[in-house]
Amino acid sequence: MKLIFLSLILFSPFFANAESILIRNVNILESTGIEENVSILIKNGIIKSIDSLIFTEATEEIDGTGKTVTAGLFNGKTHIGAVEVGAIDSTVDYHTNNGSITASFKPSESFNPHSTLIPHNRTHGLTQALLVPEAETHMIAGQVAVIELGNTPKVLNDSFGVAIDFTEHGVSIMGGSRSSALAKLRVALDDAKDFSRNRKSALAGEHRAYDLSYADLYALQPVVEGVKPIIVRVHRSVDILSIINLAKEFQLDLILSGVAEGWMVAEQIAESKSSVIMDPIYNLPTAFEHLGARLDNASILHEKGVQLIFTGMGWHNTHSAYLVRQSAGNAVANGLPKTASIAAITSNPAEIFKLNYSGNIREGEVANLVLWSGDPFELTTEAEMVIIAGEKVEMISRSLQLRDRYYESIKSFIENESRGK
Amino acid sequence: MHNIILKVWLSALILFLFGCEAKQSDLIKRVAPNQDPFPSTYQIKSHDPFMIVNTSILDGVGNLLKNTDLLIENGKIKEIGVGLPTKNYRLVNGSNFWVTPGLIDVHSHMGVYPAPGTSNHSDGNEMTSPVTAEVWAEHSVWPGDPQFEKALAGGVTTLLILPGSGNLIGGRGVTLKNVPSITVQGMKFPNAPYSLKMACGENPKRVYGNRNMLPSTRMGNMAGYRKAWIKAKEYKKSWDEYLAEDSEIPLSEKPIRDLRMETLSGVLEGEIKVHNHCYRADEMVQMIDMSKEFGYKISAFHHTVEGYKIAPILAKEGICAVMWADWWGFKQEAYDMVRENIALTDYAGACAIIHSDDAIQVQRLNQEIAKAMSAGNRMGLNISPAHALRWLTSNAARSLGLEEKIGSIEIGKNADIVLWNGDPFSTYTKASKVWIDGTLLYDIDKPDLTRTADFNLGIIAPGEKRP
Repeated sequence: MKLIFLSLILFSPFFANAESILIRNVNILESTGIEENVSILIKNGIIKSIDSLIFTEATEEIDGTGKTVTAGLFNGKTHIGAVEVGAIDSTVDYHTNNGSITASFKPSESFNPHSTLIPHNRTHGLTQALLVPEAETHMIAGQVAVIELGNTPKVLNDSFGVAIDFTEHGVSIMGGSRSSALAKLRVALDDAKDFSRNRKSALAGEHRAYDLSYADLYALQPVVEGVKPIIVRVHRSVDILSIINLAKEFQLDLILSGVAEGWMVAEQIAESKSSVIMDPIYNLPTAFEHLGARLDNASILHEKGVQLIFTGMGWHNTHSAYLVRQSAGNAVANGLPKTASIAAITSNPAEIFKLNYSGNIREGEVANLVLWSGDPFELTTEAEMVIIAGEKVEMISRSLQLRDRYYESIKSFIENESRGK
Repeated sequence: MHNIILKVWLSALILFLFGCEAKQSDLIKRVAPNQDPFPSTYQIKSHDPFMIVNTSILDGVGNLLKNTDLLIENGKIKEIGVGLPTKNYRLVNGSNFWVTPGLIDVHSHMGVYPAPGTSNHSDGNEMTSPVTAEVWAEHSVWPGDPQFEKALAGGVTTLLILPGSGNLIGGRGVTLKNVPSITVQGMKFPNAPYSLKMACGENPKRVYGNRNMLPSTRMGNMAGYRKAWIKAKEYKKSWDEYLAEDSEIPLSEKPIRDLRMETLSGVLEGEIKVHNHCYRADEMVQMIDMSKEFGYKISAFHHTVEGYKIAPILAKEGICAVMWADWWGFKQEAYDMVRENIALTDYAGACAIIHSDDAIQVQRLNQEIAKAMSAGNRMGLNISPAHALRWLTSNAARSLGLEEKIGSIEIGKNADIVLWNGDPFSTYTKASKVWIDGTLLYDIDKPDLTRTADFNLGIIAPGEKRP
């Protein structure tokens, strides 16, 4: 009877709020430094105290010796919730082949909280991410969303900013020249400005014609007013400068994305105060726009004072978006300080995308953190406990269910084999 | 101008009518076609013997040897032991370093899909017919691909370069040494068996289904392979009969050479190793049945996302499974991924191998096995690093038919060696030095040791370290 009652307390959702977790003697890695051998008490989803010794009892006590706590991981460029199987178009909602929809395209409206990608990623420590549209018929790809991967996955911000593609791909769909793409982008921004000043007459049909639809101009309005950022994907050093200049010209709030040749113009990026979303693992000249790609790009940008947000690893930035920590680890292996690298997957995105958590481990904050079996930058380290927005994540995924189903049959095969011998 | 063309035509006509070509009735000796028309020109460079002293060796066959010395002479591993006499050998400090065999990537498209990845460089998939066993990947390889040197910096010394998976039977793969060379012949692994790329599932049926031709279904795939094997058996029979006797015969009775059939015949002969792209468990078992129907052996299944579902079958059949640590979801046949795939396949006793199929991950295959090992250990499989390294070395060598030469630190093996500046399973660790056949080809501190790809001139300054 006592056992039943205990399991009710531990596993019943009704008692979830009364839960307290004490992690003893653990290391904390965060943007502000590394704290060793402290204890963390989490009560009702809030970080109650962080101290060298805590005497309070808790419903769950964990020996954290040799383990590390970080804030929950953030990936700065994913399609989570807007794709299930890449090659099956009916499951893909993060781009559109309808050329008449640009800035008004909102993948957040397609966000599927039941996607199997979400439990897979959150059990490995990914807690929040950016859901980014991709350009298909126009370089203005649509609106970027902030999502959360908790037990009840949700969109935190359905329109953080507008994504624009000025890579070779974006250029190829805008007349095939960098100059044509920039010309079209200027037209769109000018139109959005004009529209915001003359909306009434425009909607009444008494104003000039525009290149984009009214819905798209509506969506661009906060951008030209400097209220929301543009997130521009761009790689070549000279193209990065073109975009920085364009943002200056139109007084836009700019976030750069991609930026494989960022190190070549690191000072100008730093001076522009734009933060950068990048994958630090990319170092191949697979396109003429990033012949300068190198593994210490992140570390060079950091040295110049550029605020970094990581994505990756490689093209696994959606189905295995949690692998952003592998990219972050490789940034450390190539000269980036550990604290700067953890900042790029926790506190920097928390600050820039205005999360409810600091992305550091702080008393009084809602717990949004991961307990790692060791150094989170090591790939022999696993996420042991994940808390998202104060709630402990169930460590279940489709992948783990498949594993367990077949493990049994392999075990009995091995037992039969050894009996046979 | 017209005169010249006329003259050329006339001389061609004269040659045709009166040339010294053999007549159909002439008697000829029975000879098999040359099986090595593009021979390797790779030469082991001479080097002074040297010794890596007091190091930690993960030998690739399951052992960790601590505080051990390693003597390299004439491109081979000469001695392994504790406290070996150093004589006059050049010494390489091995303490605080780790040694592994050169890494082997059995699934790469470098050279056939080089960087920059522009359409002019797209040479990996001859998608003009579902069966193109006649094409050879080595004829597409661009040795100047700047990606090769990046893989070398990651410790990769041997690569199987395969055609893509757009076709049912995509053509011959080639095993290369990761050495700088102007020609592909200069990279070819001397006397390595050839391989044949086959592909199951979605890719071939999508490519040809879109053109409204066979195969547009998985059953169409099977019919396509089987038709090819039936023809290949007949072809092989006609050549076998022709070569069985010594007597001279009229030229007219010589079987007509068919490159497509010649490659398939080489598989039936057991000379060419089958590397079969196949994700789904049920399709792999269909392929195994088909191999028995026609009497050939599958060396390895590649990608094998569902390998864990039939791991005991793979173990029993002695077929290697070549896998990623965690790729999934890019298509339906890659949906049932488990991170424990490699560990579970290995646990069942099958030959488990990791591959990159990717010029980014080929640079960090040590990290990929770290993830695969960690996933297995999380479920309690107790895999040691020394054991996990087999997935990247000796097991890989086995699938290429090169287990006698590479894939382990054992006396007599080729001196393909990586000296790591720390635990090879750590993210922070990098290859410090890489030798192939005892020749130092990469040194992290000497960017000019081997010349960078021609393509990089004007991009990377001389002596510049560009990681």
